[in-house]
Amino acid sequence: MKRTILIALAAAAVFGFTGVKSRIRFTETGEKSGVRQVHSTRKFKGPHGDVLGMFTSGGAASAVGDFDNDGDDDLFVVDSDTGKPHRLYRNDGGMKFTEVGAQAGVTGGNDPDSICADAIWFDYDNDGWRDLLVARFGTPLLYHNEKNGKFKNVTAGSGFNRFGNTIAVISFDYDKDGMLDVMFGDYFKPVSLINLTTTKVLPNDLDNAVNGGGVTLWHNDGNGKFSDVTSKAGFDKHTGWTLDLGHGDLNNDGWQDIYIAADYGTDRMYFNNGNGTFSEVTTKAMGGFDTRKGMNAEIGDYDNDGWLDIYVTNITDEYMKECNMLWHNNADGTFTDVSKETNTCNTLWGWGAKFGDFDNDGWLDIFATNGLRSRGKDNYIPLLLEAIIKPNMEFQELASWPAIGNMTWSGFQKKVMFKNVGGQVFKDISADAGVDNDLDGRGVAVADFDGDGRLDFYQTNADQPALLYHGQAEGAGNWIEMKLEGAVKNRDAVGARVTVKAGALTMMREVDGGNGYSGQSMLRLHFGLGAAAKADSVEIAWPDGRKEKVAVPVNAAVYVRQTAGGAARIAPIKVR
Amino acid sequence: MDGETMRLLFTMTAAAALWAADPDYRTPWQAKDFEKAMGVLEGALAADPDSMKFGSEYRLLVIDAKAHDRAIKFFGDLAAKNPTMSNLHLNHGFAYVDKIPTAGSITQVLLANTSLGHFTKSLETKQTWIALYTRGNAYLFWPKIFKRMPLGIADLEAAMKMQKSGKKMPFHVRSYLALGDGYFKNDEPEKAKAMWAEGLKEYPASDALKSRTGKSPEEIEKLISNVYDPYKRVDTDLSDLWKQQ
Repeated sequence: MKRTILIALAAAAVFGFTGVKSRIRFTETGEKSGVRQVHSTRKFKGPHGDVLGMFTSGGAASAVGDFDNDGDDDLFVVDSDTGKPHRLYRNDGGMKFTEVGAQAGVTGGNDPDSICADAIWFDYDNDGWRDLLVARFGTPLLYHNEKNGKFKNVTAGSGFNRFGNTIAVISFDYDKDGMLDVMFGDYFKPVSLINLTTTKVLPNDLDNAVNGGGVTLWHNDGNGKFSDVTSKAGFDKHTGWTLDLGHGDLNNDGWQDIYIAADYGTDRMYFNNGNGTFSEVTTKAMGGFDTRKGMNAEIGDYDNDGWLDIYVTNITDEYMKECNMLWHNNADGTFTDVSKETNTCNTLWGWGAKFGDFDNDGWLDIFATNGLRSRGKDNYIPLLLEAIIKPNMEFQELASWPAIGNMTWSGFQKKVMFKNVGGQVFKDISADAGVDNDLDGRGVAVADFDGDGRLDFYQTNADQPALLYHGQAEGAGNWIEMKLEGAVKNRDAVGARVTVKAGALTMMREVDGGNGYSGQSMLRLHFGLGAAAKADSVEIAWPDGRKEKVAVPVNAAVYVRQTAGGAARIAPIKVR
Repeated sequence: MDGETMRLLFTMTAAAALWAADPDYRTPWQAKDFEKAMGVLEGALAADPDSMKFGSEYRLLVIDAKAHDRAIKFFGDLAAKNPTMSNLHLNHGFAYVDKIPTAGSITQVLLANTSLGHFTKSLETKQTWIALYTRGNAYLFWPKIFKRMPLGIADLEAAMKMQKSGKKMPFHVRSYLALGDGYFKNDEPEKAKAMWAEGLKEYPASDALKSRTGKSPEEIEKLISNVYDPYKRVDTDLSDLWKQQ
């Protein structure tokens, strides 16, 4: 392995793997672009307000989606404190956005009894327009896209009536009926943190907690209603502190599988049985249960071997060296953590992390956020240690935890950009790329907002301003981008798999419905081609099982529209 | 020869005598009959609770059998009945250390902290070189932010003082290593270098001491981080105490 890495590094240093000598660079344009939202975590009153505030500081989220179907991707940004409005930033082109949340009717949700924490765009009724789902510590909010720039709150008739302390949400079609289903990941167990009836609400164990919120799976019944199928599908045994969810066809059987990243205990993997149920394969697939603090579940094929891999951030800091997990798919139903070997182990106190080919060399790079709380010079950790080592400390009891006041806890951490070197090893290029800010990051949403073929990303931060990084890689390779559209069902083609061959490269991507912590990336699939002047082959495996090859232009973004019986139609996406 | 060293030697001699008459726990151990092997050693320890050798062998067996909780309970019960036995407290503490690599990061902290309590009990019972070295070395595994480093250095300096006043033993090289490492972790690199150099004069064949010389601060930092990695099993085999005679 070491020898391979050395060869890979040497080769990359000389000419790059795909004949492209590139330099990943970004410029931060949040202010100029008009998307400098400042997030606010929920402020709790009462004697335990300080501690509850710490445990609920994860809801700075954003979701990328083309809500107005004008071709370019827009941006929904979640806020969390009482009465604080969400923002809907309409993409006006040229990296300029206009905030239209109030006109659209999607700013609400942070009522006195609920805390908004995540959101996704998904076309639940297959009308070709993306609807909006806002996840809360409370009950979720479903907004129907009225196709005129406005949204209608349709929660009441949706069936989403189960209270949960939801921190993550994804949509995917688990049963291949062509309708997007929804999975919520819940952090705390389902009790109100605002109107406490018990103070024993925190993790009962910091390495093996089993008193969290778990997950719930909701079947899309096709009439605007969703049914809770958690138990029927086999997810009711997971009672951990879910922080993130990822879906993808992990075993290449044509069905969407699930990875659950959980705080204070083991992550879990479930394979789809293809009959509406899932089997937990954690022990078999990942070699056993872990005790880490799983924060992120991002799925992608980092080594271009045709099998989806998983990147999970954990906590690695001076006082806790857990190491992230880069689960390499062994193509036999098992995964091996190669984070140490690939240099992706340490991103400090991890949160959202995303794959993206930021220099179009054909290999997925990684951007990872981090940092819990940056405040004063005093450090909370020694104080916390003294509390933890007290005999018989009751972790789940709010009163056991010392107040944090203005102290810092894993704060001022530099964000990390890893350049993928030939699928073998990653190189930390954070400072050179210009993305090593030290804010208290949470989510990352990747998109090509200006359609220039170089990926941009939006970073949300807890109690701090969000950042928009405009991709400006120097010497970037050629590229193609495809927004897939299902013919009748699953219009956004979530779960579709595209394999592109270009020169020596073979790459595979799947359309996902919100993988990665607190950030939904664009639905459009992006492929860097390196020096290849064209894609030699583009093959789509549609969610309905049909496969077809298409020809798409290079250095352009296009719609690929599935037709009922014939070949897919290609149409340009007009990104301003 | 000071009294402490004499006591140590006496213990070792007694242990060596016992070796000859050891109950047979090795045969079932080799056959992976852990239950039987543990039963034999638990019987031996019940008869001689302060035996460093049986305690150490039992813990090594327990690591192999992955029966950490059983060992912790066994030593706990034995120590409750025999509260004045220094080596017993030491082995009790080591039983927690042995469990650390199998635990999650927070549980590791709790185990490490509990082990320190038992090492302290050992020292309160009897100030021995091995207990001072053990507790001092254990403190070095704590991240600097927890401010345990000065406590570790104090213990190791006391162990150094004790060993310098007695007969030189092969295992005393460990104090030079650990104390140097402690100084380095405590941002006292010059004192660290001096300690390792002094150790090399006394123990010129020590590869561990050699590995710390002629290196850049970054290289030493990496080396020491590797040595004090809580996810790696700490070698708590005490057989050097009776083998290095």
